[in-house]
Amino acid sequence: MTAVLQVIFDALSLGSLYALGALGIALIFGVMRLVNFAHGDYISFCVFAMLWPSIDAAAIVFAGNLPTVILIPLILAIGAGLSVLSEILIFRRFRNANPATMMIASFALGFVIKNFLLMLFSSRPKSIDLWSNLSLPVEIAGARIPLLQVITIIITIVILLGLTAFLKRTRFGLEMRAAAENFTMARMLGVKANRVIMLAFAISGMLAAAIGLILATQSGTADIQMGVSVMLVAFIATVIGGLGSLPGAVIAGFLIGGASVLMQVILPLDARPFRDAFVYGAVIACLIWRPQGLFAPKSTKQRV
Amino acid sequence: MAKRSSLIARTISTLIILILLLIAIAVVTKLVGSRPFERTVVEMFIRVMLVAGLYIFVGNSGVISFGHIGFMCLGAYAAAWFTIPPAMKGVSLPGLPSFLAHAQLHFLVSAALAGLLAAIFALIVGRIMMRLSGIAASIATFAMLAVINTVYSNWDSVTGGTGSIVGIPFNTGIWTALGGAILVVIIAYLYQISRSGLALRAGRDEATAAAASGIDIVRERLIAFVISAFTIGVAGALYAHFLGVVNPDAFYLGVTFITLSMLVVGGMNSLSGAVLGVIVISTIIQLLRWLEKGIDLGGTTIAIPNGLQEIAIGLVMIVILMFRPSGLTRNRELVWRYWPFGKGSVNGVAVSKTIENVR
Amino acid sequence: MSRVKTLALAAAFGTLIAQTAWADDIVVGFATAESGFMQAYDKPAQDAAMIRIDEINKAGGLLGKQIKVVTADTKTDRAEGAKAGLEVLDKGAELVIVSCDYDFGSPAALAAEAAGKVSFFLCAESIKAGIPGVGPHSFSASVLAAVQGATMAEWAYNKRNARNFYRLLDTWTVYNKGICDGFDWQLPHLKDAKLVGSDTFKNEDASIASQISRIKALPQEPDAIMLCTMMPGAVSAVKQIRAAGIKAPIINGSGMDGSYWLSAVPDLSNFYVPVQGSIYGDDPNPAVNAFNKKYKEVTGGDPSSQYVYPGYVLIDVWAKAVERAKTTDADAVVAELEKMKGEQTLFGPRTFTNEIHHQNTGRYLIVETDKGKPHVIDQWTISEPIPVADLLKQ
Repeated sequence: MTAVLQVIFDALSLGSLYALGALGIALIFGVMRLVNFAHGDYISFCVFAMLWPSIDAAAIVFAGNLPTVILIPLILAIGAGLSVLSEILIFRRFRNANPATMMIASFALGFVIKNFLLMLFSSRPKSIDLWSNLSLPVEIAGARIPLLQVITIIITIVILLGLTAFLKRTRFGLEMRAAAENFTMARMLGVKANRVIMLAFAISGMLAAAIGLILATQSGTADIQMGVSVMLVAFIATVIGGLGSLPGAVIAGFLIGGASVLMQVILPLDARPFRDAFVYGAVIACLIWRPQGLFAPKSTKQRV
Repeated sequence: MAKRSSLIARTISTLIILILLLIAIAVVTKLVGSRPFERTVVEMFIRVMLVAGLYIFVGNSGVISFGHIGFMCLGAYAAAWFTIPPAMKGVSLPGLPSFLAHAQLHFLVSAALAGLLAAIFALIVGRIMMRLSGIAASIATFAMLAVINTVYSNWDSVTGGTGSIVGIPFNTGIWTALGGAILVVIIAYLYQISRSGLALRAGRDEATAAAASGIDIVRERLIAFVISAFTIGVAGALYAHFLGVVNPDAFYLGVTFITLSMLVVGGMNSLSGAVLGVIVISTIIQLLRWLEKGIDLGGTTIAIPNGLQEIAIGLVMIVILMFRPSGLTRNRELVWRYWPFGKGSVNGVAVSKTIENVR
Repeated sequence: MSRVKTLALAAAFGTLIAQTAWADDIVVGFATAESGFMQAYDKPAQDAAMIRIDEINKAGGLLGKQIKVVTADTKTDRAEGAKAGLEVLDKGAELVIVSCDYDFGSPAALAAEAAGKVSFFLCAESIKAGIPGVGPHSFSASVLAAVQGATMAEWAYNKRNARNFYRLLDTWTVYNKGICDGFDWQLPHLKDAKLVGSDTFKNEDASIASQISRIKALPQEPDAIMLCTMMPGAVSAVKQIRAAGIKAPIINGSGMDGSYWLSAVPDLSNFYVPVQGSIYGDDPNPAVNAFNKKYKEVTGGDPSSQYVYPGYVLIDVWAKAVERAKTTDADAVVAELEKMKGEQTLFGPRTFTNEIHHQNTGRYLIVETDKGKPHVIDQWTISEPIPVADLLKQ
């Protein structure tokens, strides 16, 4: 029983990381139909923001030394700031472009950010000691799970509930949902496009910062590639969950995390390195079965 | 058929312009006579093959495929299996079936077989995936790439795993690469004026109307998918003969994004866009690299810091897309409307209008 | 007037000859990464190589000539790597030094091989970095990854009485697989040693919770965990293992050397790494500590890991071979290198044969990290070299 519980916790914690990522991508996709490939690089940027630029092997921790109560809002603000800045400077001009152009522009932006970090910090990963006491395990019903994982799961649920409340109960949320459904109509009804989009980007940036903080605490390193794998899975989760559906993206994130952990556990040793092949195969199967996504609103199902 | 030949007559100028452009670049390179520069141009020609092959599917169907570089991987490894001397294969790839372990074919034959292997794989996978549209299709192709990458990175006895395999003969010189690029451009052109290509483009522009007119979009997509897989497979084989080593990680996200970027920046829906996108971006990258190495101007060396080239090319692409969102060619083809392809300005005007309608 | 003209002509002709570099220089070419992600690994070894070149030049040069260095940036790109190799060859390089990693160094090394010149990998630890993967004129300056795995297994068996081993492999690179291959080869040679379990993970995995659960599920903790991995994912793996309460000794490959990452796993203990020389100032050979000081003077920072040292060894053995062969001709130099058996260098003996241009055995210092502080505690050489046939099979 404890083994099963252990697997469930492992799956939940990996899944929550993917779910947070999927949420960040789904938000922007919802209002702008833009897949933001730079999201992974926002994550890395937020982590490196804690260090002073240096190509030495040892990290010079700068902002990372600030007390927690200042550090968290600071990093969240940096994430939101970077995201909004990229909106104002770049994505705003692509509002009416076709999806391919927006995708390539976001990819180019990510590429620029990554190489900028590479120039400042060199490719050697830097280690940071961030709240390492959070990695100590906690016993829950016989299964041992690091405190950090529990916190990650709780934070994800809190964020999800908070966002849902925001979207359903506040005016801004209402505007965002309207814009996600039909942008032109929403503008005609008085929704200020720029405000809604900037808000979406800001929240997405904060989510990226949160993921960055979690990854940094969990792995203890700052590496320019750290956001890539989360972002790829987040992108897939958004599509599988159903484009335009935020809960769908989150659930799909958990599902992929669960599938990955399950594969790691049940596959025989020889097949284990091929774990990802099985997970992606399952993704293709899922798409064939329901191309519009698992939780897509009925209106998006293709009629032809 | 009168209609087909007049279509050819109206559009052949594009093909000729592109081919002449590629030949001109090759000739200039040979005249310059520097070995490293020649290698840069060979790499560019192989990119032309990749991007034009990508265009066959992406440009005509409107579906952005993230997975085509998987075909490059298949083609490159197939070329490796067919052309590495059997003695070396026995040591580094013990798991190969005996017909492969003892094979040593001529590199052109092996390149054709490599393309064929990629095409057959595309046929099997495409039968399942081509009914998807839009972003679901894009994700499915990405998943396909990830599966290929995982399998090739871990099937050590057959592919050498994440280590590079060596021993591939160096056969891709500038004329081979030029030939490959011209071949793919011709295939892309023939496809786009064929019945299937036109039908697919109709499906891209107006899916409902096309379906109502009796076009089987899934079938047309599959045809484009297979043809583009063939060309990219051949490109992969030539790339293996260029570098001499293959490694699965050379056929993953980096190349995927650079080829897609070149296609979109050039103009996703036109063949000229595909070719021009490669030429323009490769030129800018090379100029930036020379700046990084330092240029001597009357005694002082002007150099930009190492690593700035990547940042600069990213910014350049964003700027190009800002001002030309549909790409450099604005989705039109390069045409030559004067003699001998049109009889003067009056007919020239009528001719150009019909060309727009065919787009 | 005509005298001035003759003098000017002579001067011009002289500069022309000097520029063709036949005259008084031996050219050594570095086709390595000056940008991109390999730069962090190539540059330190390159700096060490440059230190040796300076020493040789100050002592009168090689065969009476000064060593001139030319460089070309591979930009951590394979195609660019091949071009970089061609560029340094065009500038007259007699020796082409390529990137630290076989995958990224091989294009330039293949170019050198095609031109019939000697190529040397800065610190590649794959068996392919040499004859099997490039050709008969190619060498590597470091020690095979397999030796690291075998050394740690034998040392733990003999000095820590380890009998039950657990093997955790990161499938990301050939280097990692090499360490575990050496471990696999060594284990059957150790009487009563058993493999109680084995698992794999990917370097980029955010969490290795299921792999850890498997270790915890064993009836008792293994006597040693062989961790075959490298940066950056290694830090996260070690952190998670210790955080789960697993206190067993962890044995590693040299890729884990360095104190720059220890702040991420505070108070790490029972952690063992094999190194060719100690960067911590406590090497039993005082000349190594002197080298560390010199390195700091020249580059402004302490050596970040033991991968600085093979750069120095590279120039050292090559220069010795050139002196003995009395020429820089590739075949003659290769013949001299292949005669080296147990050739003493600052960082351990080096042996090359016509079968293998790499080290399939080596003297390693064992560094233990105790409460977050690494120091040398022992020295070990495996009791028999790993046979070439076994290395090639893997």
